[in-house]
Amino acid sequence: MKKYLSASICLTLAMSVLSGCSSSQDIAGKTTIELVTYKMEAVDLFNEFAREFNEENPDLNLVIEAPKDATTVIKTRLIKDDAPDMIGIGGDSTFSILVDTGVLGDISDYSGLDDIKESFLEIDKKLEPVPKTGVYALPYVANASGILFNKRIFAQYGWEIPDTWDGLINLCETIQAAGLAPFTFGHKDSWTTLAPWNALAVSMTSPDLFTRVSLGQDKFSNHYGDIALKQKQLLEYSGNDPFAYGYNDACTAFAKGLAAMYPIGSYAIPQILSVNPDLEIGSFVLPANNDPKTNILNSGIDLQFSVMEDSKVKEECYRVLEFFQRNENIQRYINEQISVPCKQGEFELNESLTHMKDYIDANLLSDYPDHHYPSEMGADALIQTYLVTGDLKKFLDTFDKDWIRFNQDNIRKLLEYEENH
Amino acid sequence: MKDKLNSNRSRTFLAITIPIVILFFVFNTMAVIQGFGYSLTNFKGFGGYDFVGLRNYIDLFSDERIINSYIFTFGFAIICTILVNIISLVLALGLSSKIRAQGALRAIYFLPNILGGLVIGYVFNFFFTYILPGIGEAINSGALSNSLLASPKTAWFALVITVAWQAVALNTLIYISGLQTVPEDVYEAGAIDGAVGFKKFKNITFPLIMPFFTINMVLCMKNFLMVFDQVVSLTGGGPARSTESISFLIYSGGLSGGAFGYQSANAVIFFVVIVTISIFQLRFLNSKEEQL
Repeated sequence: MKKYLSASICLTLAMSVLSGCSSSQDIAGKTTIELVTYKMEAVDLFNEFAREFNEENPDLNLVIEAPKDATTVIKTRLIKDDAPDMIGIGGDSTFSILVDTGVLGDISDYSGLDDIKESFLEIDKKLEPVPKTGVYALPYVANASGILFNKRIFAQYGWEIPDTWDGLINLCETIQAAGLAPFTFGHKDSWTTLAPWNALAVSMTSPDLFTRVSLGQDKFSNHYGDIALKQKQLLEYSGNDPFAYGYNDACTAFAKGLAAMYPIGSYAIPQILSVNPDLEIGSFVLPANNDPKTNILNSGIDLQFSVMEDSKVKEECYRVLEFFQRNENIQRYINEQISVPCKQGEFELNESLTHMKDYIDANLLSDYPDHHYPSEMGADALIQTYLVTGDLKKFLDTFDKDWIRFNQDNIRKLLEYEENH
Repeated sequence: MKDKLNSNRSRTFLAITIPIVILFFVFNTMAVIQGFGYSLTNFKGFGGYDFVGLRNYIDLFSDERIINSYIFTFGFAIICTILVNIISLVLALGLSSKIRAQGALRAIYFLPNILGGLVIGYVFNFFFTYILPGIGEAINSGALSNSLLASPKTAWFALVITVAWQAVALNTLIYISGLQTVPEDVYEAGAIDGAVGFKKFKNITFPLIMPFFTINMVLCMKNFLMVFDQVVSLTGGGPARSTESISFLIYSGGLSGGAFGYQSANAVIFFVVIVTISIFQLRFLNSKEEQL
């Protein structure tokens, strides 16, 4: 009896050990650095980077993975205690959660931080739910979100880029009168509703709104009603049923010239060009207000690198960061992914970003508001729900209520922090 | 002598059973207990966490999103269960009758079952977004030319079609095997007493395949309550959160959303609900079964 029992226990233990050790990519004599990034669309470039880096550093073996839905993969691997050495994600709510739980290492001793534009380091600082000391990410490139337009159609009809809200609406009327579709939307994918939302919100609200609401000094419902109404107004100028098509469909429709404008971020440009490489794309800041001076650019960190707290190869990770940060490598990245570098210095920006360059140079930019919304709140689905149903009061009430529900631990910590400082 | 034989036998049985019990305990029961532990914390899935008592459970009952997902999932599961059982029973009756190419037809009707839920979801996604509205426009039908997936009023129906299309396959198979257990002589005896057509089905066939009906009802209800793949690939829970199933919400809120503790509490409640329903269904339907 005992024999069977111990045999079966042994078997069980052996199986659990087997399932525990996943594929290890160690190569003899080399230190492996594992980087997981969410930039699936840049996977080819990252593979080139890894190859070149490994040729240059014979003692190291950099492995870069860019899986689908990488942020979930990263979180799942953290749950399994199998974290990579480095991660490359956006400056968004995922970063907020990770930095708050203390799984990211402090990299303030990394020398390359001095070359980063101050405004991007500040953006990362503001994403910490409760302020911490130290630096937890190296901002790499930023993106900008506003309205993409078809340059050829605009030139053909002689349309000008609007710098006021009324101007934008007039332009939409003109485009419609010319028998064309002003906009295309991919709102079947709920996250796309955040693109116009963010672009409107940066000009219509102040970035400290989140802290004020958390401290009970203000409410979202005091500010978000106007944004919601304006966003709903834009849907009237859609060329198709905005909720029938997803992001990919909308990119394809815009690439084929089925709409003159597409309210989405610069991150969509590579995908649009992959459908129609000859399309001339321009972009402009979504003019949310009628006073052009109050309109600012919606720009956030599209890709930043963090070293995990538990990584045993921190020094080696810094060598990877140095490699990524070389000017020629940044230029290669922004050429391919059409983005804005976070490093100081002269870089050549893609043509489609020229109208936004003035805002970037003048530092008239503000981070994506949705990077501050906790992801379990599902702000994108809330906005989509409002756009479908048109129930403004319920939308605003839910927004305020859910913010408090899903932020209750952060709010408590923030109140404690405010008392102590 | 007899005792020794018995103990030998029971040893063999124990040797077969114990490893399975341990495996089940380690990979299933332990996980459930762990999940219950997490449900009492504000755990994000990684990093540090605090014990918050029953806060997650109290929050659950006032969270409109959670309540809506329960209403949706139950409505969906009930409609799907009824629909799938009617269709598969009719199909099974047809495929058990003496028709041509019976084997080939059975194989074709079983095909959806071997495809993955995600694959089917993506195929139907394309069908509902482009092909069906295309047909609608061609025949000038206003209702059809809009994508079913675009409106919260119709998206659930598209999901029902997709899920039912796949689920009918396995249920038909189970009903066919059930129909084969009914001996021919019962029918012959019934025919002498005048049981033909629908009367034959109602009074002879259906009572005799009742155990298979029970299995199908329980399996269907449980599978449809846990619908996940098709939601991910077809609607992503939208539009306007109208098709968020409970499993989908647990996954999206708990893993990608970072509310691991909160959704663990949801999972515990969901577990209790499914066990209760399954036990109730088995008890109720077993009492209706006939034995020959």
